[in-house]
Amino acid sequence: MISVKDLRKSYGILRAVDGVTLDIRAGETFGLLGPNGAGKTTTIHMMVGALPPDAGSVCIDGAGDPADPAVRRRIGVAPQALGLYPDLTGEENVAFFARLYGLRGRELRGAVQSALEFTGLSDRRRDRVSTYSGGMQRRLNLAAAMVHHPRVLVCDEPTVGVDPQSRNHLFESIENLKQRGVTLLYTTHYMEEAQRLCDRVAIMDHGRVLALGTVDELIERHGGLSVIEGELERPPPPGVPVPGRLDGTSLRLESGQPLEDLARLAGSGLKFRTLAIRRPDLETVFLALTGRTLRD
Amino acid sequence: MGAVLAVAMKDLRVLWRDRFAMFFMLAFPLIQALFFGAIFARGGGAAGRMTVAVVDDDHTPESQAFAGRLARSKSLRVLSEIRAGSPTTQPMTRDHAADLVRTGKAVAYLAIKPGFGEASGMLFSGSPPIEVGLDPSRSAEAGYLRGILMETYFDGIKERFSDPAAMRGPIQKSLAELEGESDLPPAQKAVLKMFLGALDTFVGSIDPKVYAQGGGDFGTPKIETVEIARSAGGPRSSYDITFPSAMLWGVIACTAGFAVSMVLERRSGTLLRLRVSPLTRGDLMRGKALACFIACCGVIVVLLAISQLPVFSVRVGSLAKLMVAILCTAECFVGLTMMLSVVGKTEQGVGGASWATLLICMMLGGGMIPLIAMPNWMVTASHFSPVKWGIYALEGAIWREFSWAEMAMPCAILIAVGVVTFSIGVAAMSRFER
Repeated sequence: MISVKDLRKSYGILRAVDGVTLDIRAGETFGLLGPNGAGKTTTIHMMVGALPPDAGSVCIDGAGDPADPAVRRRIGVAPQALGLYPDLTGEENVAFFARLYGLRGRELRGAVQSALEFTGLSDRRRDRVSTYSGGMQRRLNLAAAMVHHPRVLVCDEPTVGVDPQSRNHLFESIENLKQRGVTLLYTTHYMEEAQRLCDRVAIMDHGRVLALGTVDELIERHGGLSVIEGELERPPPPGVPVPGRLDGTSLRLESGQPLEDLARLAGSGLKFRTLAIRRPDLETVFLALTGRTLRD
Repeated sequence: MGAVLAVAMKDLRVLWRDRFAMFFMLAFPLIQALFFGAIFARGGGAAGRMTVAVVDDDHTPESQAFAGRLARSKSLRVLSEIRAGSPTTQPMTRDHAADLVRTGKAVAYLAIKPGFGEASGMLFSGSPPIEVGLDPSRSAEAGYLRGILMETYFDGIKERFSDPAAMRGPIQKSLAELEGESDLPPAQKAVLKMFLGALDTFVGSIDPKVYAQGGGDFGTPKIETVEIARSAGGPRSSYDITFPSAMLWGVIACTAGFAVSMVLERRSGTLLRLRVSPLTRGDLMRGKALACFIACCGVIVVLLAISQLPVFSVRVGSLAKLMVAILCTAECFVGLTMMLSVVGKTEQGVGGASWATLLICMMLGGGMIPLIAMPNWMVTASHFSPVKWGIYALEGAIWREFSWAEMAMPCAILIAVGVVTFSIGVAAMSRFER
């Protein structure tokens, strides 16, 4: 659905995007994960034709240049900076963007109503956007991006500054769009969002894709071992072999098969007062790939 | 075209809801037009004086006394002599007085017609003839002038009552004429003789200070009005000058507002959304330009409509020429909007630069100080201000009564400035977006 080859963009001596190659399948939810300044937004801007690349090519839905108006009709963008007019009502905002995509009359009214219902903003449709909460503005941002029923929807950090209730609403909306077969390109620096929503994830840093695959594949490849940590009820009797590192009654064990190892420990007579198994996640993957955390 | 209209309508809606912008586009220019119009109407030092030319065709002591009283009136500035650029002067003639009215140098002329002195001396039957010549559109001034004439005339009567010796002259003259009257029935003649004789005795016997309190029932002056059509060459009122200037104030407020709105779109993320829509950059520019154009035209039209109220009575010389002037002015400032919108990267930067640039244009172009009050070097510098050409074109259509050939120059300059600045703005924006 979206094919990106060797995309490059520099601002002076800064290489914002340095040879990004991606291939996003139709109906897939694809996550671009990386810290602030990783080059996610610049990559997206080039993918949707808002920014001309210095080098490389983008192909969306079999068509060429994303700056072509015919190609743009198939794309919806929910930008990171809220692209809304605060002095207009929610309905006026969505209707304005729908008109830009050629919607008119009954079709326009129906699409606006549907988009507002989809994002749970029907009740506030006649209120000015300046009176909306941050979460409601994010939802309206999504409504304005999908009002024309695009085949590709780009959500750039859609949950930044959003309250938990609105965040859940946004997740549900995106999952709903996913079920409708919309191809979603989703950027975030929240790993839990990527793990919940994305079929595949590309991890970016310093303008480059460091790793690409499903969440499980990435964890398996780069996440390392699971960690079992527990507090024993009493120190193990002398002569009983204990794997991992034991410090008094505190046990820490790295394992590729944590459940099997845990069963083995229980079988040897060890009793735990507290126990936790930490599986590796995307944060661990990112740490392993870059030596720093996503929120650095 | 639908998308262009959608952008334009959206921008106008956003503008309409911005009360601060609306104040500077409409209320502020209007306040300015009214304030300076009222100040200029009072003429500064000669506050509130109406300029009139006075012609004495009667040449009697009464007519000269009446002209003298008019000259002393606090409400009038009287022109009673012709000064043709030489130290010597001539008495005002009716033709010259009519020319002064025609060219706007005097609001009206007052001609004291032959027979004025004769009639003003007669009791009960006299109606001293006065002719008033003025522009028929100045009905308010006509009423005011009539009041001043009556007041001045009765002041003269009051003066005469305060001088019993002078008052007795006309009574005795009337008695002499009555004596020679043969058509009157003897009984009536006897009654009138008895009355005038008693009045003569009465006037001669009482302290003059008593008469200073008021006069009797004398004949009122017969005022005849002559219409003098004004020709080109001067504004009819101070509002003819302040309203075109106010229109330009409204237009520059639009310009500054729209210039900032462009950078606001860029900063708030809406420009990104517009640019990833099927809208081309050209469509976006056309939509923005259309909104700015409509707003500029709208501001001028609203202020023009207000100027048509009877209290201001700004009369449009040519509606067709005014429409051309409005369109050219709006086009010019749309171009400036596009150029100013790319001079900075923040709202503050663009807003500050826009207002600074436009205020200099206003100052040089006669939007703050009329060009006639400027030193020569500033008048020369004013040629570089589009404000000057905007005001000039609007005034040309409103009161300067320009021909189409005279309208061509300011309109051509406005269009050229608009095209050049628009091109610069679009080119800079294209470069900026890379």
